[in-house]
Amino acid sequence: MKKALITGITGQDGSYLTELLLSKGYEVHGIRRRAASVNTTRISAFLKHPRLKLHYGDLTDSTNLTRIIGEVKPDEIYNLGAQSHVAVSFEEPEYTADCDGLGTMRILEAVRLLGLTKKTRIYQASTSELFGKVQEVPQSEKTPFYPRSPYGVAKMYAFWITVNYRESYGIFASNGILFNHESPMRGDEFVTRKITRAMGRILLGEQKCLYMGNMNALRDWGHAKDYVRAMWLILQQKKAEDFVIATGKQYSVRKFIELAAKEVGITIAWQGKGPAERGVVKAVKPLPGLAGEIKVKKGDVIVRVDRAYYRPAEVETLLGNPAKSRRVLGWKPEVSFPELVREMAASDLKLALSEHHLRKAGYGAVKNC
Amino acid sequence: MKKALITGVRGQDGSYLSQLLLAKGYEVYGADRSGDSGLWRLRELGVEGRVKEVYLDILELSNIIDVLERVQPDEIYNFAAQSFVQTSFEQPILTAEINAIGVARLLEAARKVCAEVRFFQSSTAELFGGTGSAPKGEGTDFHPKSPYAVAKLYAHWLTVNYREAYGMHASCGLLFNHESPMRGEEFLTRKISMAAAKIKKGLQEKVLVGNLECRRDWGYAKEYVDAMWRMLQQPAAGDYVLATGETHTVREFVEEAFAAAGLRLRWEGKGLQERGLDAAGRVLVEVSKEFYRPSEVDCLSGDASKARAALDWRPQTRFRDLAALMVEADMKRLEERK
Repeated sequence: MKKALITGITGQDGSYLTELLLSKGYEVHGIRRRAASVNTTRISAFLKHPRLKLHYGDLTDSTNLTRIIGEVKPDEIYNLGAQSHVAVSFEEPEYTADCDGLGTMRILEAVRLLGLTKKTRIYQASTSELFGKVQEVPQSEKTPFYPRSPYGVAKMYAFWITVNYRESYGIFASNGILFNHESPMRGDEFVTRKITRAMGRILLGEQKCLYMGNMNALRDWGHAKDYVRAMWLILQQKKAEDFVIATGKQYSVRKFIELAAKEVGITIAWQGKGPAERGVVKAVKPLPGLAGEIKVKKGDVIVRVDRAYYRPAEVETLLGNPAKSRRVLGWKPEVSFPELVREMAASDLKLALSEHHLRKAGYGAVKNC
Repeated sequence: MKKALITGVRGQDGSYLSQLLLAKGYEVYGADRSGDSGLWRLRELGVEGRVKEVYLDILELSNIIDVLERVQPDEIYNFAAQSFVQTSFEQPILTAEINAIGVARLLEAARKVCAEVRFFQSSTAELFGGTGSAPKGEGTDFHPKSPYAVAKLYAHWLTVNYREAYGMHASCGLLFNHESPMRGEEFLTRKISMAAAKIKKGLQEKVLVGNLECRRDWGYAKEYVDAMWRMLQQPAAGDYVLATGETHTVREFVEEAFAAAGLRLRWEGKGLQERGLDAAGRVLVEVSKEFYRPSEVDCLSGDASKARAALDWRPQTRFRDLAALMVEADMKRLEERK
């Protein structure tokens, strides 16, 4: 039985990857941070699984990582753990570097020191944020990096230290340069989830308005479930290499909002430009069974710009070229952009409905984890 | 009077820059964690006691903030680094703590305390590592080949990011190899110049070297610190390649250095068996696997045309003269030691 170790198992990708690896018969070990609040919600369905084992650990703790890796002796390590929020990295540059950058090296060093270089394969979660201010369109494995945030710079450190350990010590260590990948499991501080959460809540009167940053930003969005399959494929190759994982299609944040609104029955019209831009309800078409609950009405301003959400240095456009991953891994995404938005909007409408009903029954707000 | 803060002030670049800035009338504050071991450089350059010593360690943010608040520098030059490529394979985490996160702390502290300061980050040609032999300009195509270079790449991009995100006057010098009599003896060129001098004087038998075919673009450090100062006098911050544009192999450096000591070498054997002998057939140079890196950078040559055009900077000292002046300095030191 193969053994996998996942850092960041409590996150979006960790939960989908856990599901995938358990279904493939792996023994799955995950590292979770000790926190005062529950952080295993996304993997709650697997917590009792006989082949899942969680360890307390932290990417900033070498001793801890070395001990866990030494005990588990995994065949595969998926390093998904990170301070993964771009905006937060401007506030916490040092921690971001320690966790995202050095954390990756601590894992590589542990594998080397434990003499596991021939046994353990390492997947490093790299990101399209490395391309930042893009040097060519679309971005492939050959496109030079130009990170635009402390997060991007820390992840670039992790990318190159992974390449360096592969070149210096022959470790099977590969980077997946993943473009944006979303799902109902996305944290609600990420823009896509923030949008789909807001649309359900606005529809039902649980929230007045959605405040946004740069809505012109263009992204290449896929479904996380497709992307974790690519991670696994990357570690099943004969040779360790780096791969761009993307859909090759691009949409604006504004388009995401429009589609998410549409999924709950709201048609948005845009007025104004720049920071003064507003999204106004043009029409509401009640979904079956919801007619009596709908609070939003024509003419309501439901989207506004708040400059607080602008990044100090913006990444305007990201578009991946997945030709190599298609050719070498045989990977292609199965969920389209409209399907992705639909799944997220539907899931968050359900959440908003339970919040709505609970509040009406006098139980106050419930916070989604 | 302008105030400059130099981290790594007792290193090669820090000491030359101190000399330059003091001559320009700056008040120079210097920090270094090397203790007394680097003081000789300031002494030899005649600036010992003229650099105001501050205790600043880039591992500690509160310490940095405290020093910046006290000094309120107009310019910061960051040379603090774990600067041995080889050591970075042994101590990758410490290297990253100092060379990468240390710069994050410094930039973050500067942003809080003295956002108007002009900041110089010492980037390195090692960032280009495995990108092939074509001359390197200020592009974005990097391929670091050691934990040292990966950490320096982080520092490079973070400096760019603070410039772009916060409008700070923060610049990176992409420095190709720059040598001098102030180089530490752990570095190849100085190891060779000292060995040539010692062998000549009968104080040493032979010297062990790594890959003789490594090609590098070697300049004179004293001229490079002048370019750094010029970078910070520009109205806009930017990144500059500092290089001579000429490359030579390690073998050529060995030959020139020994020639400057009056020893003509001939080579015998191939690869790890290769040896350099003098006219009498004594083995003076041997190749040792110990000095090969786990992942080797083959050739590095820089294109400094941007620095030439924008900074009016031209390195004057040629390769042969550089090797000679290093050997002469070491000969002189040996004589003074006697």
